[in-house]
Amino acid sequence: MQLTGVFRSVARGLGAVLALAILGVTRPAGAQVAQVDVRDTVFYEPSKSSHLFVMTPAVTVAAQPVEWLDVHAGYEADIVTGATEPIKRGPLADVVTAATKFSDTRHQFRGGAGVVRRDAHLNVDYSYGTESDYHSQGISVTAGSNFFQNNTQIELQYARGFDHVCTTNYEPATAPSGRTRLDSSARCFSKSPDRASRAIDLDTFQVAWTQAWTPVFATQMVLTGGLQHGFLGNPYRSVVIAPAGQDALENHPENRARGALSLKAKYFIKPITAAATAGMRFYRDTWDILGETVELEFEKYLTQSLRVLARGRYYHQTEALFWSDDYTGGEPANGPRGQYWSGDRELSPLSSFMVGGRVLWGLHGAPGARVLGVMLRLQVTAGFDVLKTNLKDFTWAGQAPDDTMAMVGSLGIRGEF
Amino acid sequence: MTGTVRLFSLLALCLASGACATVRPEQRAVLADPTMRFEGEPGEDAAMEHVLENRESSFGGGSVRGGGCGCN
Repeated sequence: MQLTGVFRSVARGLGAVLALAILGVTRPAGAQVAQVDVRDTVFYEPSKSSHLFVMTPAVTVAAQPVEWLDVHAGYEADIVTGATEPIKRGPLADVVTAATKFSDTRHQFRGGAGVVRRDAHLNVDYSYGTESDYHSQGISVTAGSNFFQNNTQIELQYARGFDHVCTTNYEPATAPSGRTRLDSSARCFSKSPDRASRAIDLDTFQVAWTQAWTPVFATQMVLTGGLQHGFLGNPYRSVVIAPAGQDALENHPENRARGALSLKAKYFIKPITAAATAGMRFYRDTWDILGETVELEFEKYLTQSLRVLARGRYYHQTEALFWSDDYTGGEPANGPRGQYWSGDRELSPLSSFMVGGRVLWGLHGAPGARVLGVMLRLQVTAGFDVLKTNLKDFTWAGQAPDDTMAMVGSLGIRGEF
Repeated sequence: MTGTVRLFSLLALCLASGACATVRPEQRAVLADPTMRFEGEPGEDAAMEHVLENRESSFGGGSVRGGGCGCN
């Protein structure tokens, strides 16, 4: 893979910050100088024909050179291998083509700084991601303040993404039904005449209100809005849109506005030293998808340095306005299903359950003492979750997919120096 | 329009009600406990958000960050 100039500059900048933090060159201030967080997450979705395996190693380093300043940098990779059916057919087609194997690696670099002044804070972050068929750049700004004796916290966030995705080089005037899918990421982001780079603009706004009501009860309300503009489909996927079997590149609307309202409450049960959390989220977008999420968590201290968390989550969504499992029924060209077509199962009606948990073990030295001779604090976490999805109206040529059970495992180590 | 005015009126009322909460600084020990933090474990939460956003259409309520296609 060719590294671009921007990529190299960002990598150099982040490398310098990482080195400074790790070596502790920054001026020691107070008790904390730097934190290093190393994590690996594994996602596995078994299937006879279209399995997916993703490994995501990540490292984050933060340092406080002075009391009011925090600088941080991070790197993560998504190492993906799997197989997928490239052409979506409905129940009326009786042939399922063989799944295509693929593998790719996404690299993402992040860096930023934050300042704290009395009851207010301001953070600015930048991220750069690259993979063979997708480039992303993003900047986010977060500002927050505490009110009413620190019982009320308001935080505002804005993020802007400047992404590019590789597609086949069809002319904008080409009718959507004449556009073809990518067969591989080869020659993407080169001057090859059969490849094109298409922009995706992403704007996200968020307001969070956190409120302490009693010494053991707090709530949080988060209002999120998002705007997406550009190529919003999957460049590798085509959909059968005619009874004779003609397929065309997935065709999604170029604009999508999204909104979500999330409510959470936390209660600490002192007699058993445990915290219970309940949350709900409501989602709606201009593709007419309605989603509801219910979450429950219970986290208990087993000893002063060991705690366990159990969690459960239920999610339900309706389908996009233009969703169909079969587009070969002669829909009107200006109707939602004739104008747009999708093979994305995340736009179909579905529900999912997730259950899992996490174990966290933490050690911190007495004042003035250090753990293992060098660290102020050491924390190890291990988590495991199972996600089961119920696809209500999605088939591969009439056959129910078998890749609907996923397992997510994670292991993390954090040290404070 | 009326719905928007009602929503913002409700939000303003909720925010104003926060001023009535009187948790004194010396009573905040439990609220400062890691189990009472809404942001949880940032690295783990971000990884789970990434997984879920690639398996469903909804988003929001977590961190604001971008990057990555999730095409597969």
